[in-house]
Order: sequence, then structure tokens, then C-alpha cells
Amino acid sequence: MKRSFFGFIKPKLTYEAIADTQTEPAYVPVSRKLKFLLDTPLEHAGDLAMAVGDQVKSGQRVQIKADSGDYGLAGKSGKVTEIKPFLGMMQAQMTSVTIAVDEAASQAVDDEFKQQRQTPTLANAARFLQGLPGKPDFSPFFNPDKDIKAIVVLGVDRDLLATTSQYFVKTGIESIKTGIDILRKITGIHNVMLAVPEHLVQVAGASGAGVMTVDSEYPAAHPQLIVRHVLADEVKAGAEVSNSDVAFFSAEAVSAIGAAFNTGQLPLEKLVTFISKDGNKRLVSASLGTPLEDILHALNETVQDGDRVIFGGPMTGVAVYSTDQPVQADTNMILIQDRSQVAEPSDVACINCGECVRACPVNIPVNILVRFLEAEQYEAAADQAELHACIECGLCSFVCEPRIPIFQHIKLAKHMLERMKAEESHA
Amino acid sequence: MPEPIKLTVSHAPFWHSGSQISIKSYNILLATLLAVIPGLWQYGMPALAVVSLSIALAMIWELIMNFLTRRPITIGDGNAALLGMLFAMMLPATTPWWVIVVGTFFVIVIGKQIYGGLGGNPFHPAVLAMAVLMLSWGNYFDFNAALVNYQFDFNPVYPLLLSKSFGAGAVESFSLSDLLVGRQIGGIGTSFPLGLIIGGLYLMIRGYIRWEIAISFIVGMFVTAYAFHLANPEVYAGAGFHLLTGYSLLGAFFLATEDSSSPVNFIPMLIYGALGGLLAILIRNIGTHTDGVIFAILVINLANPIIDKIRPKTLGKVINYA
Repeated sequence: MKRSFFGFIKPKLTYEAIADTQTEPAYVPVSRKLKFLLDTPLEHAGDLAMAVGDQVKSGQRVQIKADSGDYGLAGKSGKVTEIKPFLGMMQAQMTSVTIAVDEAASQAVDDEFKQQRQTPTLANAARFLQGLPGKPDFSPFFNPDKDIKAIVVLGVDRDLLATTSQYFVKTGIESIKTGIDILRKITGIHNVMLAVPEHLVQVAGASGAGVMTVDSEYPAAHPQLIVRHVLADEVKAGAEVSNSDVAFFSAEAVSAIGAAFNTGQLPLEKLVTFISKDGNKRLVSASLGTPLEDILHALNETVQDGDRVIFGGPMTGVAVYSTDQPVQADTNMILIQDRSQVAEPSDVACINCGECVRACPVNIPVNILVRFLEAEQYEAAADQAELHACIECGLCSFVCEPRIPIFQHIKLAKHMLERMKAEESHA
Repeated sequence: MPEPIKLTVSHAPFWHSGSQISIKSYNILLATLLAVIPGLWQYGMPALAVVSLSIALAMIWELIMNFLTRRPITIGDGNAALLGMLFAMMLPATTPWWVIVVGTFFVIVIGKQIYGGLGGNPFHPAVLAMAVLMLSWGNYFDFNAALVNYQFDFNPVYPLLLSKSFGAGAVESFSLSDLLVGRQIGGIGTSFPLGLIIGGLYLMIRGYIRWEIAISFIVGMFVTAYAFHLANPEVYAGAGFHLLTGYSLLGAFFLATEDSSSPVNFIPMLIYGALGGLLAILIRNIGTHTDGVIFAILVINLANPIIDKIRPKTLGKVINYA
């Protein structure tokens, strides 16, 4: 959190290595309800695949649009009690589905997957595995614009402080190996790399995949930066390299895939790095859909008015407004900040000190970019100041002396450009 | 149902390095004191009056402009006080009060606020104001005349004027060590080079000024002055003399390094600084002005946007051929 006394040195933020004596994750019992946030807007869903009052079995897909790939996996059996619209980031129209847990019925397990697991195909993977903890994303394989050449399994955590992915590499390399074998089989891509921090290289060797070391300095573990290493030859040749050539899976997702095929049961527990106000770090394991308050309760933690609860890491996470927020398949980390730690941004203009330019890992002229963004000239920002090269690491805002929310400006600009593009193609 | 907890919602990142404009301003102010306090000791109460008036007026102009433009009050960030201080450092101790009133008006209103405040100014505000004053009322900046009533135990002649008028031989009596510890006359904050050097080093180490600019400015000045001296040692004084007299070190550490008017990329910073040093000596040695630092910095400020276009290629640049 601090600037180095020797200010001519670039600030160095390093990823944390998982402790050698990592204890078992704390288990969080589900009290009464599970909640799922689905990307499909309620009003566009058409005929709902689920209705209030429906019984849900453990492991069943919770969805409002049948077979859309947009679903959550119910961690426990229960009954749907509420389906309502939910407003996500950048005014995203989403839907929340609440399930009242019925402990008595918890034995009821959805066995649809069990019957299908003998035929591991891409279509089946997309149908059954996308809701697994770690959120494996198979959509790139179905996108005709993409030509996937390699798969990278991320054994590193993208944001600071988190050790979720490292935990799976450290303790569950066997199921990662199984998962990688299955991924090879269903995608037909044999170039699989496992990206790990240096201290896990030896463990990672057992995975059967190519091992790639990721630097410990933030933001080396950002997927876009890892891509450059995987496809180093093409980068040198000056070819356009984007995520379209590489598919990413988190170590947790691959491990879950492995476990699913080994046992026939879909894993429904999500591992989360939980960091309390005093910086105390714990790994917790909670059913998909568990609301934050259950975790707080299980860990004896409290939050008060004015505190900040962040889903995701300190650099790129999302602050939530309610303790009702559920653990989802891609929730790797929950960070609680006391109200006294909340740093205020300001509306002072850029002073051109250049700290952001020196911090940027992809050499964006941030000082120019922010001038366009503050004037809401998003197209000019994309054309003249490399807006789209941004990998969203948040370092520019971290070092900003006038404390301009540059990162938020960038995300807003990208969102607005997307929207303008969508409106154009609509018209 | 209990009242839901009101959490703070904001955007990422949720950490900050802790840097702040005001911290930077106050650190630079602190560094200037190393040169200003010996200056006050040398020139006495009149110098204190000039420094105080300049800082106070700079802050008052800033406040007036904040009200006139209906923008947030910005004197708290310390930049106005810093500009007032830097302006005062360049003045002789006997500067009349109205010159300071006009000068600080140019510093804050013309140099900074009309461009939209801190960060918008294309020139260093204090340098701009100084250039205006030197061209308008040059006689007040003749240090020999301004400080004529002082009694010093060293040669009370402005060294740069001496070398300009009578050649390098005339300044042989100034030893470099005397110059370094302030046995020379000059501006309130520029006649004690040792303090400027220590202050500058402190700021470079803390990262409040960019070492690339300061060092390249000094190197540019040194190399150019040395080349002149080699070509004609009788007319042109040595490089060390040039570095330790006039506004050289103030320019290198405090004026050329101003954020808004200087480049941010590595190579541009080097070019910018070296160009400034080169121009300063050119103006001193073959121009009409006694000290070239002020005009040299104005010129490199002007060139800054063009120089700063030299920058590393963005990684993963996405080219849209649509």
C-alpha cells in the first residue's frame, strides 16, 4: 500500500506465495439460502426455465434460459423462492435466483452429468462444466472467429494477496493432471501450459503439461501478459496477438473438471481466499451460491457501516453493496477493508507527473489517454492513445498522484465503446 | 428485518500508493529551504520580506482565481506556495513590492490558472513570470545595482555579468569552492549552490523530481560550457563556473523538472534536459542576456509536447483495420 521512500524506484507489488504450512480450508456451512446471479436479463429470457416454487436438486443447473450456458450449479438442494432482476456492474441487466435450502432434501443429487461423463465432448463440457468452481469457459472453442492454438492453465492468482489457484497446484496436482488430460481429449489441443509461480515449479512438473514460470511482480500473472510468453515467437514477428489464440482455465476449474470425471459428481464447493480487516488471510470453502453473510458468520467476522467489501483482489476487484452478495463460480477472493482504510479518489486534473506512464506494463501513454477520457472522447482515446491495449491491471490508478480514478475511466470508456458499437450494428 | 449495513462502494483499485500532490509540494518546498535559509542569512530582513510577500501573494492570487473561476479551492495542495517560493528565489533581495505583486500575478494567473490550473500550464509559471519581468523591468534584476548597499567580505559583483562583459579572465578570482558555499551575489535562493545541490539530490532520491531531467540538464550545460571554454579559454569561463553561478542549479533541479511542462518518457526527458542545458549556455555565451536559463527553459517547455512523442511502442497494440 505504500510508496517506496526511494521514489525513483518503480513501486513493486509482489504476488504472495502460498504458505508452506497451508492448513485445510475452513468449511462454511450454508444457513438457509443460496443465491445465483445470471447474466441473462430477466425480461429477455422468454419462457423461464425455472419458476418460483420449483424443486432444485444438489448439482442441478440453476438457469432461467434453458441450455444457454448461463447457469449456476446449486450447491445444495432446495426450492426456488425468488427470481428478480439484478443490476450488475456498468448497469448490466442481470437476474438473481434465490433458493431456500432444504437440508432434509439435501441427499437428492442431480445425476444428469453422471450419465453423460462417459462421452467427454465439447458440447457436453459446455453444457455441464461451465458452472464448476473456477468457471471454465468453453465458449472460445465455439467462436468461429477464434483459432485456439494453446490452452493455458493458470496456477497463479491474477490479483494480489489471493492464493486460491496456488492452493490447487500445491495440494491437488493429481486432479489437475486428470483435468488436463480431459481438456486435451475434448478440445483436441495438445499444447497445454501450466503457469505457476517459481516456488511451485517442482510440484507443477507432475501435471503432464508444459510448465511456465510467472514472475512474482504484479501484474505478470495477467492473462494478456502470459499470452505474450506463450506465443513469444509471434509477438516478436509483430503479429497481432490477442486472447483469440489462447484459451485460459484456472487451476481450480481444471482440478474440478478432473474431480468431476473421476467421481461422476460435480464439485460444488468454491475455494475463496478471505482477507479480514486486520489482513488475516484464510482459505475458505463454501458452496456455490453461499451469501457473504454466511461466510462472515462462519469466520466470526463483522462488517460495519462504511466498510468496504471487495469481491476480487485489491487491484481489480469489485466493491459490493450488500452482504447478500453470493460466492459465484469465479469468486476467488473476498477482501474486507475497514472504513479507515478507504482511500478517497479526487476530481483533480492530471498534473502530468508521469508515474502512470512508468507504471504501465504495456506502455500505454496514460497521461495522454486520461485527457481524452476526462473529456469523454472515447473514440479518440481508442484511436490515438491505445485504449484497447489496456490489460486492466489498475497500476495507473494505484500510483496516481492527484488520485484520478483512471482505471474506472478506462473501464467506462471500453464499456461505452462497446455500447456504441452494439447500437450501430443494431441500427 | 434489521437495517441493512451500508457498505462503501467504489471502484478498483482499492489500494493506493499514498502519493499526493500536497506531499510532493511540501517536500519540494522543504528542499528549497536548504538554499533559501542561507540566502536569508546573507541578505537579511529584506530577503525575508521578499520571500514572505511572494509566497503570500501567490497563494492569494490562487485563491482569487479559485473564486473567480468557481472551482475548488486549491491552495491546500501547496503548489501556489511552491511557485511563490521558486519565484522569490530568483529575485534580488531588494526587489520593490510592486514588482512582486505583478510578478506573482504573472506566475499564478497568467502562468497557471488561465490554462485551467495545475497540470494545464505549458510553461513553468515562475519562469514565465520571470521572463516577463526581465524583459519589462530589466533594471531591477541587475544584481550589482540591486545589492549595491550591502557589505560583503567577498567580491560583490554578479559573476555572470563579469564574465560576460570582461571575459573569463575577470572571474578567475572566484574559486569554485567559494562559489559553491555561496560567496557570490545573486538571487535570494540561487547564491548558495551547495544547498540547491543537496536539496536536488534529496528530491531526486525521493522521486519528487525526475533525475533524468535534472542530470541531463546539468550534463548538457557542462558539456556545452566545456566546449566553449576549450575553444576560447580567454573569453568563455569554465564549465564549473557556469554550473555554480546564476540560475543554473535552480533551473536544473527546480524549474526544468516541473511536471506539467516537462516530458514523462525516458528518452524525451534526456533530450529535454540536455537541450535546456545547451540552450542556457548558448544564450549566456553568445546571446545578449546575462543568464540564459530562464529563456532556455521557456524554449524547452515549448518543445516538450513534440519531444514527448518519442515513446516506447505499446505492447499488444490492437490494430483495427475496419
